[in-house]
Amino acid sequence: MKFLRQRLDNLRNLSQKNKLLAFLKPVINAADEIYFGTDKVTTLPHILDSMDIKRYMSLVIVALIPVALGAVYLWGLRVLAVIAVSYIFGGLVETIFAIARKKEIHEGFLVTGLLFPLILPPNVPLWMAALGVMFGVVFGKEVFGGTGRNIFNPAIVGRIFLSVAFPSAMTTSWLMPFNQGTGGFLKFSADAVSQATPLTAFRSERLIADFGNLFLGGSPGCIGETFRLGILIGGIFLIFAKISNWRLPLSALLSVVICAGIGNFFAPDKFAPALFQIFSGGLLLGAFFMLTDPVTGPFTRAGKWICGVLFGFLVVLIRGLSGYMEGVMFSLLLINVFSPLIDRLVLGVKYPKIKK
Amino acid sequence: MRKSKTFSGGYRFINFEGQPKDTLEEVRVPLRVTIPLRQGFGAEGDCLVKAGEGVLAGQIIGHSEYGVSSPVHSSINGVVEEVKRVNYFKRDCLMVSIKGDGNPRYQKLPGAINNWESLAYEEIEKILYLSGVTALDREGIPTRMRSSIILPKEAKSLIVHGVGSEPYNISGELLLKGKNILNLIEGIKILRKIMPNARVFLALSSHSRKILEEIEKLTSAYDWLELYPLEPKYPQGYDEMLVATILKQKFPYGYSAANVGAVILNLQAVLLSYEAVVEGKPLIERTIALCGPAFKEPLHIKARIGTPLREAVEGRVKEGLSARFVLNGLLTGFELKDLNLPIDKTYSQIIGLVENRERKFLSFLNPGLKSDSYSNTFMAKLSPRIQKTCDTNKHGEERPCISCNYCEEVCPVGIIPHLLVKYVQCNILDETLMNLRVFNCIECGLCSYVCPSKIPLARQIREGQEKLTIQGCDRNQCILPYFDNLKGIEEYRGPKEL
Ligand code: SF4
Ligand code: SF4
Repeated sequence: MKFLRQRLDNLRNLSQKNKLLAFLKPVINAADEIYFGTDKVTTLPHILDSMDIKRYMSLVIVALIPVALGAVYLWGLRVLAVIAVSYIFGGLVETIFAIARKKEIHEGFLVTGLLFPLILPPNVPLWMAALGVMFGVVFGKEVFGGTGRNIFNPAIVGRIFLSVAFPSAMTTSWLMPFNQGTGGFLKFSADAVSQATPLTAFRSERLIADFGNLFLGGSPGCIGETFRLGILIGGIFLIFAKISNWRLPLSALLSVVICAGIGNFFAPDKFAPALFQIFSGGLLLGAFFMLTDPVTGPFTRAGKWICGVLFGFLVVLIRGLSGYMEGVMFSLLLINVFSPLIDRLVLGVKYPKIKK
Repeated sequence: MRKSKTFSGGYRFINFEGQPKDTLEEVRVPLRVTIPLRQGFGAEGDCLVKAGEGVLAGQIIGHSEYGVSSPVHSSINGVVEEVKRVNYFKRDCLMVSIKGDGNPRYQKLPGAINNWESLAYEEIEKILYLSGVTALDREGIPTRMRSSIILPKEAKSLIVHGVGSEPYNISGELLLKGKNILNLIEGIKILRKIMPNARVFLALSSHSRKILEEIEKLTSAYDWLELYPLEPKYPQGYDEMLVATILKQKFPYGYSAANVGAVILNLQAVLLSYEAVVEGKPLIERTIALCGPAFKEPLHIKARIGTPLREAVEGRVKEGLSARFVLNGLLTGFELKDLNLPIDKTYSQIIGLVENRERKFLSFLNPGLKSDSYSNTFMAKLSPRIQKTCDTNKHGEERPCISCNYCEEVCPVGIIPHLLVKYVQCNILDETLMNLRVFNCIECGLCSYVCPSKIPLARQIREGQEKLTIQGCDRNQCILPYFDNLKGIEEYRGPKEL
C-alpha cells in the first residue's frame, strides 16, 4: 500500500515536472483515485453517504459476474479475450477523450466495457468487437459530452452499428454451447457448427425450445444472454442493492407477457407464447441491465412505467412482425430516444404551471 | 396503539454511533458568560445594562419595545464587563459579557405559582413572555406582547413534537424522565390556556414505545389532545413536514408554520414553559445533548445560557483527533468554529464529528461494516442493529449526475433536485424552474447527502433560488395564490438565517 502510494506520488510529480508527460495526468489521477479514497472533507451537509460512483459501477460489474462466468462455461475461454479487447479498446477511447478534454476519466466506462461483449455473438471476430466498442463509446457517449450526458447507451450503439455494418456476422452463424463437464473452462472456443437461435427456430419451424435449456444456457445466442439464471440473480441483486430500479424491468416483462399473450392468441404463427418470449433472445439481459441504465432511461416514476410498457410492446412487435429475429436492441435504442420526451410529458402533468 | 404516520420521501438515519446516553450532567455555573441579545426567534433586544453594572441571574438585560421579540436574561449573578457587537451566526449581534461569582441562585419570575390554574390567561402570557421561553423554536410562542408573528387567539393548532429524526437527537427518554412526563402534560395545558382556539397534537417517535404507552395512559381522558406516533424519518422534525403529516395541509414554503396558524414547539420548550409558570424559573439554562463519534462519552448536559462552548466540551472530546462541532443537525447545522462563542437558547445538540482526511486504500470496495448509505450496498445495512459511524470525509469524487434518482426519492417535498440543478448549472433561470417548484425546497440537505456523485445539490438549488430572486422573480408568486388567509405575512421576514 505504501509502496503503491509512493509510486503514484512519484508518477504525479513526474507528470507535473515533465511537460511531455503532462498529458498523462488524467490517467495517473484515475489510477490514484481508484486505489485511494478521497481526502476531501464535507462542507454542508457535514456528513455524506458512503456510496460513490466507483462503488455504484463496480457493483454492476459484480452483478454481471455470474453471467460472465456462465458465458465462459458455455462458449469457452475465448469470451475472456473478447472482454479484454472490449476493455482495452473502449478504455483507450475513453482515455483519449479525457486527455483531449483535460477532464477526469469517468467510471461509467467500466460497465460498458463488460456489457458490450455480452451482447455479441460468441464467434465474433476480435477486430469486430474492438471496432464496435470504439464506435459505441465515441458515438454513444463521447459526442454528447461523456458519462451523464449521453442519450444512448454506448453498448447498444456499438452493437447496432455492428448489426448494420456486418449483418451476416451478427445474425447468421451461431455456435452450440458447451454443456457438459468442465464446459468451456478448459477450452478456447466452441465448435463452429451453425445453429439456429430459439427465436429463429420459432420463426422458421414454430419450434418452442426446452425451457430448462433456455434457463441454464443450453441454447444458442449471444455471449451473455443465454445463461438466464445468472441474469436473474444479478438483476435481482441490483434491485435489492437499490442500484437499479425495479419499475423498469417489472413493467417491461409484464408488458411483454401481456402483448405476447394477446398476439399469440390472435396470431399464434407470428407471435410466440408469452413465457417463451421472456426466456428467449436478449430480453432478460436488456430488461435488467440495459433498460435500467439510469443515464439513458427516463428518471420520473411514471416515465419508468411508460417506457417499460412501451419497450415490451416494441420488442413483441419487432419480433413478431418485422424482418428481424430479435427486437431488444432496436427497442432499447428507441426507448433511449423517447425517454426524454416521455419525461417531459410526465413533468408537465406533475408540475402544472404556477397560478398567476 | 395508533399506527405511525409519515410522509413520502425522507430517509431514516438508523443507529449512528455516539448517541447521547440518558444521563444528565450539570455544568458548573460559569464564572464568565457572554449573552447574545438576539437568541432564537425574534429581533435583537436593546441592551438595558451598562458596563460595570451589577446584574442578577434571571434579570432581564435585553428587551425590545418594537418588533417581534422576547426578553433576554442574565444567566448568572455578577457584574457586566463589556457590551459589544460581535459576529454571531453570520450576523452582527450585541453581546453582553458578565463576570460572575459562581453562585447558582437566580431571581424568580414574579407571579408564578404552583396552582397555575388559578391564573388568568393574561397572567400566564405575561409570565411566559418575561421568562424568555417565548423565543424558543422556529417561530416562538405567541403572546399578546408580540413574541411571535401571530396572536395567541390566531393559533389554530399547537404541535408539540419530539420525533428525533436527525442522525443525532436529544433523548426524549431523558427529557421526559420521572416527573417530567407529567410536567410536559401540564405544560401543554398551560399553553392551551393561552391558545384557546388551538387543537393540540403531540407527536412522538413511533419507536419510543415506552413513552408513548405512558402518555397514552396519562392522556386518554383528554379529548382535546391527539397523540401522533411518527416514523422518525429525517426531516420529520421540520415544521414543514409536521404540518404536512399531522395537519394534512399544504405548507406555504418559504413562509412559516405560524402563517397558517400552527405553533410548533419541541418537548423542551414545553417543559421550560412549565418551569416558568409553575416554578418561576426564567430561561437561563437548558439541556443540551453532546453526541457524535468525537465525544469520549456522549451524554446530556445542563448548562447556563452564555456558557462558552469551550467549557461545555472541554475534557469530553477524544484525544488525538481533530474534531468538528456542529450545532443541532448534521445535514444543515452551523459549524461551531469558534469555541469562545456562547451557548444560547437555540442549542439542543452539539455534535462532534471527526475530521477525516485519510485516503483509504480501495475505499470503494470496502465491505462497509459501519458505513451508512441510502443504497443497500454496505454490510451495515443488513441489520438495523449494526451501529454506523460517520465522519467528514466525502467518500468519493464529484462526478457528473447519472440520474440515479436517489435525490428525488428522498426529497421530502417531492421536487426533482437533479433536474433543478441541471437547469441551474446551465444557467437556464426562468419560469420553468419556478414551475418545477424550485422554491418549495426546504433546504433539508438530504439530496446532497444521498448523491453518489457527491453533487452539492441543496446548495446549488439555493443558488438557483437566489439568482432567480435577483432577476426579479418573486417567490411569493409561487405561494400566495394557493393560500387564502395567511396570517402575519407583513411581520414575517423570512426564515431564520443561519
Ligand atoms: S443523486 Fe446525484 S447522481 Fe443521482 S440523480 Fe441525484 S444528482 Fe444525479
Ligand atoms: S434540500 Fe430541497 S431539494 Fe434537497 S431533498 Fe431537501 S427539500 Fe428536496
